[in-house]
Amino acid sequence: MFFQQKFRLLSFLISVIFLGLIFNIYNLQIINREDAIESVNIQTLDTFYIASPRGEIYDTNNNKLASSSLEPHLFVNLRKINDKNISKYEQYIKYNFTDLEDTFISDLFESKNLMVKVANITELSFDERQSLSSLDAFEIFDFPVRKYEYDNIASHIIGYLGEPSLEDIKSFPLAAYSNIVGKNGLERYYQKDLAGNPTQIIFQGSEIKEIVNGSPGKDIISSLDIDLQIVATESLLQGMQLANERFESSNKIQKGAVVVLDIRTNEVLSLVSLPDYNPNNFVDGISNREFNELNITGAFNNYPIQGQYPPGSVFKVVAYWLAEQENLYPEGLSSRNGKIDCEGSLVFGFNDGSQQVYNDWKEEGHGRVNLSSSIKESCNVYFWDIALKIWRDYEGTSSESILQEYAKSLGFGELTNIDLPYEASGVVPDRNLFEDWAVSQPERVRAEGWLGGDLMNLIIGQGAITTTPIQVANAYRTLISGKLSKPYINLDQQDNKELLLEVNETFINFLLQDLNSVTNEGGTAHASFSILGNNVKDVGGKTGTAQNSGDKNNTSWFVGIDSISNPRYVIATVVEEGGSGSAIAAPVTRRIIQSLRGVNPTPVKFGEITE
Amino acid sequence: MINRKITILGPEGTNLTLLILFLFLNFISWLTLFTLSDGLTFDLQNSVFRQMTFSILAIILFFAITYISLDQINNYTYLFFGLVSLLLVLLFTTDPKEGVRRWFDLGLIDFQPSEYIKIALVLFISKSFSENFNKVYIGLISFIPIALVFFQPDLGTTTLLLAITLSMFLVSDIKTRTIFSIVLLGGVSFFGLLELGFINSYQLNRITSFFDSVDFAQSQSRLAISSGGFSGQFFEVEKINQIFIPVQSTDFIFSAYAYQFGFIGVIILFGLWAFFFYRVAKIIVSTQSDFEKFVLAGFSGSLIFQIFINISTVIGIIPVTGMPFPLLSLGGSSIVATAVIFGIINRIFIENNVVI
Repeated sequence: MFFQQKFRLLSFLISVIFLGLIFNIYNLQIINREDAIESVNIQTLDTFYIASPRGEIYDTNNNKLASSSLEPHLFVNLRKINDKNISKYEQYIKYNFTDLEDTFISDLFESKNLMVKVANITELSFDERQSLSSLDAFEIFDFPVRKYEYDNIASHIIGYLGEPSLEDIKSFPLAAYSNIVGKNGLERYYQKDLAGNPTQIIFQGSEIKEIVNGSPGKDIISSLDIDLQIVATESLLQGMQLANERFESSNKIQKGAVVVLDIRTNEVLSLVSLPDYNPNNFVDGISNREFNELNITGAFNNYPIQGQYPPGSVFKVVAYWLAEQENLYPEGLSSRNGKIDCEGSLVFGFNDGSQQVYNDWKEEGHGRVNLSSSIKESCNVYFWDIALKIWRDYEGTSSESILQEYAKSLGFGELTNIDLPYEASGVVPDRNLFEDWAVSQPERVRAEGWLGGDLMNLIIGQGAITTTPIQVANAYRTLISGKLSKPYINLDQQDNKELLLEVNETFINFLLQDLNSVTNEGGTAHASFSILGNNVKDVGGKTGTAQNSGDKNNTSWFVGIDSISNPRYVIATVVEEGGSGSAIAAPVTRRIIQSLRGVNPTPVKFGEITE
Repeated sequence: MINRKITILGPEGTNLTLLILFLFLNFISWLTLFTLSDGLTFDLQNSVFRQMTFSILAIILFFAITYISLDQINNYTYLFFGLVSLLLVLLFTTDPKEGVRRWFDLGLIDFQPSEYIKIALVLFISKSFSENFNKVYIGLISFIPIALVFFQPDLGTTTLLLAITLSMFLVSDIKTRTIFSIVLLGGVSFFGLLELGFINSYQLNRITSFFDSVDFAQSQSRLAISSGGFSGQFFEVEKINQIFIPVQSTDFIFSAYAYQFGFIGVIILFGLWAFFFYRVAKIIVSTQSDFEKFVLAGFSGSLIFQIFINISTVIGIIPVTGMPFPLLSLGGSSIVATAVIFGIINRIFIENNVVI
């Protein structure tokens, strides 16, 4: 027999017992929670990381560009901060470090970290430090301080530091601990080497149980010549000022690049990008407003390796090389000495019967020109004739892209793999690319696809082609040295592969002679270089004026070679919207060459307007 | 037989509340195991997938039992009880694993008869009571499987079986005074046998060590429960991995649950079970059949005692006994046995025309 009364009584008793259990859990989870968390902290070890001093960066003459020093900093051990003493510590910090903002101080105490850094206390006396460290929650640790000795100079090469983003942590997991990472330049490219291993401060509960010292980062000796870098930066700034004075431009002309390579080794002696920034401003964090202002001007772009410009006439050396190598000259000519009549425009027909007229930049024409004089005077018609020849002989065959292949074997359209982050590759267009674009970005190409006109544009460095200044400098270096390799800044380079190019002495001598003629009497850059006096006979270069779409002014290019008798340096200069290459980029390069030759650099003067 | 008003699932209908509770409790188990695992992968080594597989098996079993009428259950009770008891005897012929004989090794899975003696014992006592057999004999026969389990040895299940027997005798018409006298007598003779060395010291250690120091696992699990706080840590697995708790996915799973879902989660879990027992109690009061009353009371007693012992262990108020939390702990035997209990209760619900 089931006994209902006893069942009810039993149910009641069980309910009471379970209420007791719930009360017990309530005690555990709500009332005694703090104690439990404290015990969890005690039985688990936690680590706080302090960055080790970063490796220092030197230029090639042992000038320190970026230095690291350990300076004592005050930290608060947040595990020792509780409701009772928080206001005492806040007051203490406010009173002793008057230049700290109140919000900064209150944010410190809300951090979820084990410790927070309060301030650099290098300036404090021994007694003052003693009195600080007598307070229980205060700790003093050495913290590395980064200093960039030349401020804005070479900022894009050296880069700057900042707090790691999630992306950064994926690339550099250790940066999550020390909370600092190279954001650009060498600081980023060599982050792993420069950062070293952070010091570990191991906590058990609120007490510091052990300190495991990290190891400092590795120094970098760079190929950079800081004195040359200063001259190059000044020269580029002068050129821009000149361009702003002489041209009516809707945009302020402020972007540009200089690359100086050592022809023998491909070391980067100088790499200027304007506008620039002062990496010292990032050391203690930069305000959003300042960051945005810099960002709008384009200061974070490293133009020598990221700026992608149509190269204009500086690209003509590709066809120059092709013509010699393939024995491919304008119709009717069989050698470099053969001449055509340049009448200032080219009238011709394509196979499809269309009649085209191409106008040279010089209306009255260059007269009788051969390969050499069309480099010297930058005659477009001669090169168009070469393009026509390629098109008529090879259209639709496997050799159709012969010009592009020559460009690519000089490194165009591909990364140079310089040891800096975020390099851009530029574009060398051909039929295949146009077909890809017709699908992916149809607004960039015409429905007809790749035409002879595109090849004619390409041969004079116009149209869809884009190149970076480092690519151009590297291409000239490759042609003159006969070796293709990556340009580099860190002198500690292993397995730097060199690809030998099919060029012979005779060709190189012809090329140097013709580049030399550009800066001499009758050449496009003579006006800018005549100030060198007799020395002008031993330098060379090539001007370039690349047209831009829209209302943007032309891109001003010059590639300089120093010297002709003993080729040592190649200098590529670009001024975005700087107009004529011979007028702006050429005199900028001339001033840098003066410095390279140990001559007192004279101010940048406006040269002749040509293409 | 009375005609069913509504038939929702199964040939004779299924009580919706019971089904939803059963599914939801299974789901909570998956969620908790998921927070303890490195994620879900589809192999049986993965605890979440393992539990899901057992859950699906359990749900199928739950529906299958709907096909068996209470009359049939009643008819086969003695046979079932006898069979399971026989299996318990046969266990003594197997090789001990880690010093105990609890499982038949069936290759892929282990079969644990003591899970089913819980059910068989409840059915046996219910049937005997409802047919008014001699209470002394009932008590003595009940004691046979309990003793067999005790000598496996399995202290946890032994206590549970004693509790089931005790609770069922308590709600019968036997005088409470008599029951307590017998319990007292039993207790005294137990400790007497202990003194004489008849009993394995393994069980003894479990009891005595508690009074010296709180078990390591228990103090760790208290920390984990505390760290859960009011609203829980929700999937912040990093910290709970630092708080090392042995057998965290089985006997100590409640501590992980309380860590993840906090006091709110605990209240929800208790609420679900309280609602279940409330519905069962309503049937106990309303049904005319003594057999059904005793079956429901016995099963409730079994589940309540398991939950009580498990939580008391996890929060450290009694020594560690190794009792799983029904439907929450990882483990096939326990979940399948609980599914049988839910299935039979479901049958009682629908035979009483309670479908929602």
